[in-house]
Amino acid sequence: MTKDFEIELLLGPGAPEVGCDMCFEQLDRYVELELAGADADAAFPGFRAHLVGCPACREEHDSLFALICSERR
Amino acid sequence: MTVMHTASVEVMEPVPVIEPPVAAPAPADVESAEWLRALRADDGSRDAAIARLHALLLRAARFEIARRRASLPHLRGNELDDIATEAADDALMSVLRRLDDFRGASRFTTWAYKFALLEAAVKLRKRAWQGREIPLEPDRWAIQPSRALGPAAASEQTEVMGAVSEAIAAALTPHQRTVLVAVALNGVPIDVLAERLNSNRGALYKTLHDARRKLREHLRERGFALDNYLEEE
Repeated sequence: MTKDFEIELLLGPGAPEVGCDMCFEQLDRYVELELAGADADAAFPGFRAHLVGCPACREEHDSLFALICSERR
Repeated sequence: MTVMHTASVEVMEPVPVIEPPVAAPAPADVESAEWLRALRADDGSRDAAIARLHALLLRAARFEIARRRASLPHLRGNELDDIATEAADDALMSVLRRLDDFRGASRFTTWAYKFALLEAAVKLRKRAWQGREIPLEPDRWAIQPSRALGPAAASEQTEVMGAVSEAIAAALTPHQRTVLVAVALNGVPIDVLAERLNSNRGALYKTLHDARRKLREHLRERGFALDNYLEEE
């Protein structure tokens, strides 16, 4: 079957996910765990699925990740 | 800004509660503890700490603007500077208002940065869509093939898209259709849509989530295997 990002965005992640508020609450810790090489997804169930389903939260995650990375260089 | 994240925490579907690998909330690290002490001081050191915090937030806001600069060719440098300052100002208010919420699960600066990045991102999305029409009528949508495909894949995609189109028309409420079409098909940022609909990000995402669940159920009832389109089940 061919992957199609438009259909994926329509159908959503299809897995349990947190909402935007919880995503924001957990964002800083999640990013630090990622950068430490820890299993952030195990620590925060539903967080990764939300990033798949919510473009805005994904952008904010990517920005925080990039900002912290830039500071550690 | 009116932060949509000050509303009560919302979990879309039950997720198992497990302990994080590192106990949280944890005692703040030395640097974070110093930030908290200075920002809570009742002497002149608080003003200095607030000034340092504002500078930190401004740096984060400028970082976000630089990341999005290419998508904002119509904005001049001074306009971007104003957006960065407004974002830092608003983030500063959010951080100070929510200082007691910081539990030391991350560094204080990481926690504070996310407020500035959010403020800057929301402002930039709104500026990018300022004056642009957002089609809200549920019947004004169409799913188009998004990439060149071989004959077999194109046929399969056409079949799935037809079923999705039918499901959008048949299974969703008008409000669910409006939100799904705007966000997932037309690429309208959820903050922008929330402002136009006088709603908030959390509420609209809940609507989007419910609409997606209905679509998946509708398609599965009609025999479509969706595994390859979904992140995980």
